[in-house]
Amino acid sequence: MSLPAADGPAIETHDVRRVFESRKGFLFREKTRTEALKGVDLTVERGAIFGLLGPNGAGKTTFTKILSTLLLPTSGRALVLGHDVSRETDWLRPRMGLVLGGERGLYNRISGRENLRYFADLYGVPLAEREERIRQLLERVDLVGAADRRVEEYSRGMKQKLHLARGILHRPEILFLDEPTIGLDPKSARETRKLIRSLVGDGVTIFLTTHYMFEAEELCPRLAVLSKGRIVARDTVDGLRSLVGGDRTFEVEAYGFEDREVEALRRLPGVSKVVEEEFGPMTRLTLRVRTLETNLGQVRDLLPGHPELAVRERRTSLEDVYLDLVDEEVR
Amino acid sequence: MSTAHARGYSGARSTRAALRLSLLQFMADPQWLIPSMIAPVIFGIVAFELFRGFGPYFLTYAILGAGMMSMWGQTLYGSGWATGQDREFGTLEPTIQAPTPYLYIVLGRVLWNVVSGLLGGAIVYAVVVAIAGAPPALPDPLGFVVLFLFVMLTLAAVGVVFAAFYVYTRYAGFIQNIGEFAFYVGTGCMFPVVLLPFWTSPVALFFPPTWALDALRYASIPGYVGFSWGFWPDIAGAVATTTAYLVLAGAIFHRVERHVLEVGNLDHY
Repeated sequence: MSLPAADGPAIETHDVRRVFESRKGFLFREKTRTEALKGVDLTVERGAIFGLLGPNGAGKTTFTKILSTLLLPTSGRALVLGHDVSRETDWLRPRMGLVLGGERGLYNRISGRENLRYFADLYGVPLAEREERIRQLLERVDLVGAADRRVEEYSRGMKQKLHLARGILHRPEILFLDEPTIGLDPKSARETRKLIRSLVGDGVTIFLTTHYMFEAEELCPRLAVLSKGRIVARDTVDGLRSLVGGDRTFEVEAYGFEDREVEALRRLPGVSKVVEEEFGPMTRLTLRVRTLETNLGQVRDLLPGHPELAVRERRTSLEDVYLDLVDEEVR
Repeated sequence: MSTAHARGYSGARSTRAALRLSLLQFMADPQWLIPSMIAPVIFGIVAFELFRGFGPYFLTYAILGAGMMSMWGQTLYGSGWATGQDREFGTLEPTIQAPTPYLYIVLGRVLWNVVSGLLGGAIVYAVVVAIAGAPPALPDPLGFVVLFLFVMLTLAAVGVVFAAFYVYTRYAGFIQNIGEFAFYVGTGCMFPVVLLPFWTSPVALFFPPTWALDALRYASIPGYVGFSWGFWPDIAGAVATTTAYLVLAGAIFHRVERHVLEVGNLDHY
């Protein structure tokens, strides 16, 4: 058993790989092999929200399940709070919370309060504290009024809040949240994010997966992008912006551009990347710009033959970064 | 069982929690009325008619036959099925992820199923007695009750092993459904196994309820001829096979939990 490392990283993984094997057919069984994780190296510091971004099928849930001891890696090593997730589950499980979310994962025919009581018992929440802790949690997730109603009567948002309450019931040191706002209406999603932010104040390390860029940008000071089973980038949001070629983004739209015009834009000072895309009859050029000296006027000057021209500037969003990174990985 | 960890679970508390959860789910779900209340009534009526003319102790035969049929479903089938439901509800993952070994949860469920199985047995008894208009002649009523509980324990031991299969694979229900009626007959639930073809005996002997039921019949029906070895060998056989099942359950549960983490099928249903 490794020593508890109170000051070490919350999560440390080395070359974590995971292969799923499945069989199809009845008489002639055909074996298929899917490599969900292809060697993930990641370090997450304690006491903050760390975001793992990735498209569907990138391996986010697989990685989360490995870290939360619900799945063994095929190879490689994963440490959470300094302990090996494959061998030290007895030590780890009382100290970690997991919220997989969604409609499933709750006992629907009994009340929210009874769901929490059951899991409080499984986690050994002191009996003397159990009821008070459940009451506080229900208050915190705004489910007091519905606490004694059957879960099957809850909305999706209420179920998600109950999932969260269950995840933090035993006061874990680290909490894994797998797409915690997926499928929620905007109001419920906003409330859920607020709740997640408040947990950091309690000293909990949060590992959050999402494919909502704004959510990651809003919640996560540091994040990593997972694509096709590999970490393709990890940094702060600003760090990732500079990684893909600039903090500023220009969008230029017209009814098509000539190659020489695109080349001229590409040669502007500080332009690191030009992406061309069609939508209907229009063409949009997206320029990543590193410097402040280039401005929209220079862009207009290079495109005089387009009376319909629309030019605007915005800050490079995490979504731009993400799409650039994932796009590069696909290519 | 009552190991309290510095930070984590208490096995006894987890078992109590699972027992309580089973009770709450039972009360919340009217479908349970069928196996626990309605089926015993039907079994009781059918058994009474089947065993009528089976000699002076036909009432005891009827009560034992119908009672075992009823308890089988509740105790053995119910224990595994609850784990299958955990898969279906998506609650198997958070339950496995909790610090408590899943075996303690299963024990809680088995305890509940024993309780509801006893309820089924009591209903059968009441139905048969009501039809007959008189209680069965039992040479030793107290011994009958004690042995009846012992039979429940043997059924529960098989239930725990079955539950492990439900954790292992989502297809456990399919396998259990196929085997259910073979078990009914093979363990002598309705008819004594001595009435079955000889070739079935070696298989039946691997199941603890076969031995326990035979002992119960020896104790309750004067002149009963079951296994040629008699009452005490039956008790010894039941204790040995039940112990073997419980040891097996303890051993396989740990491995099954490890296996499902390896294959990653906890969320399959």
